[in-house]
Amino acid sequence: MISAGNDVVSLAAIDITRTNQYKFYSKILSEAEIPLYNKFSLARIPFEIFVWLLWSVKESAYKFLQRSEPRLLFTPVKFEVVNLRLPHNCSLSPFNYPIHEGKGFKEISHIQSTIKFADNTLHACSVLYSELIHTVANSGDDFNNLLWGVKKIGSDDSEAQSAGVRSFLLERIKKECGNNFRVEKNNNGCPVLLSAAADFPIPVSLSHHGCFVGYSFMKPGNLDSDGLREQSTGSPES
Amino acid sequence: MTRTEILNELKKVISPYTVNKDQLANIDEQTDLIKDLKINSANLVDIIIDAEAKYDIEIDYDSADKMVNVGTCIDVISEKMNEKA
Repeated sequence: MISAGNDVVSLAAIDITRTNQYKFYSKILSEAEIPLYNKFSLARIPFEIFVWLLWSVKESAYKFLQRSEPRLLFTPVKFEVVNLRLPHNCSLSPFNYPIHEGKGFKEISHIQSTIKFADNTLHACSVLYSELIHTVANSGDDFNNLLWGVKKIGSDDSEAQSAGVRSFLLERIKKECGNNFRVEKNNNGCPVLLSAAADFPIPVSLSHHGCFVGYSFMKPGNLDSDGLREQSTGSPES
Repeated sequence: MTRTEILNELKKVISPYTVNKDQLANIDEQTDLIKDLKINSANLVDIIIDAEAKYDIEIDYDSADKMVNVGTCIDVISEKMNEKA
């Protein structure tokens, strides 16, 4: 599927005391996942951030699967994170970007994870800063054509979040392929990018929490700076 | 407790996690927690834990994942209260 789920967590909006209580984190983490914290402990990353990182990974994986299974319910402990790989010198640095965008994660320090859910194996990449966690999840481990972004907006109001994430996404698609796209929801309530020039919608994933908004989508192979073109199997002149 | 009584108490549980107070005052069993009340999914665990404390029940994760709208929240709370009785 050409899609990618994403999720953002504003660390200013979490309840640190509650997150560290067993009754809270046991509704997100399975017993098997708790030892994964050891690596984070060595990197001096607090437990509450580990909990919300796994939440973000699981929610991204759920959003990826929900697009093809609209009736899927989100049960965090059933999305099992089986592997976490931290970057070298993993630490909590401040988020000093007006916007933070990328295509894949090759040049960016990130945490890789593998998630199992029923018969599915998913992969995720997360960026971690002292203010936020942003994750994208995909069925494959090739993120090279995955476009993603996260930014801080001026308000945590739900209308501001909704407008902010859409304008952020449209600015990116404008940079990538022109400005004739709009965001709508498909019959299952999942967001898609549509264009008069496009013969098919581009699935996108939107997220917001607190004052942060994020997006992700897979760049179709025929998306270029002139817009979305239908790939032709005949000669260009015919 | 009747479903109406649970609903009225549930409004108090949900209230800290939504800014849509007008919508909260007029919720019915079809009201969706995320789509209608604009509750962030990250707060759903808070609501489950607050409901557990409010009604002195334990909500397992198979039940918790059904709590997507007001009606299903009442179903789960009612079921768990009956199990305890």
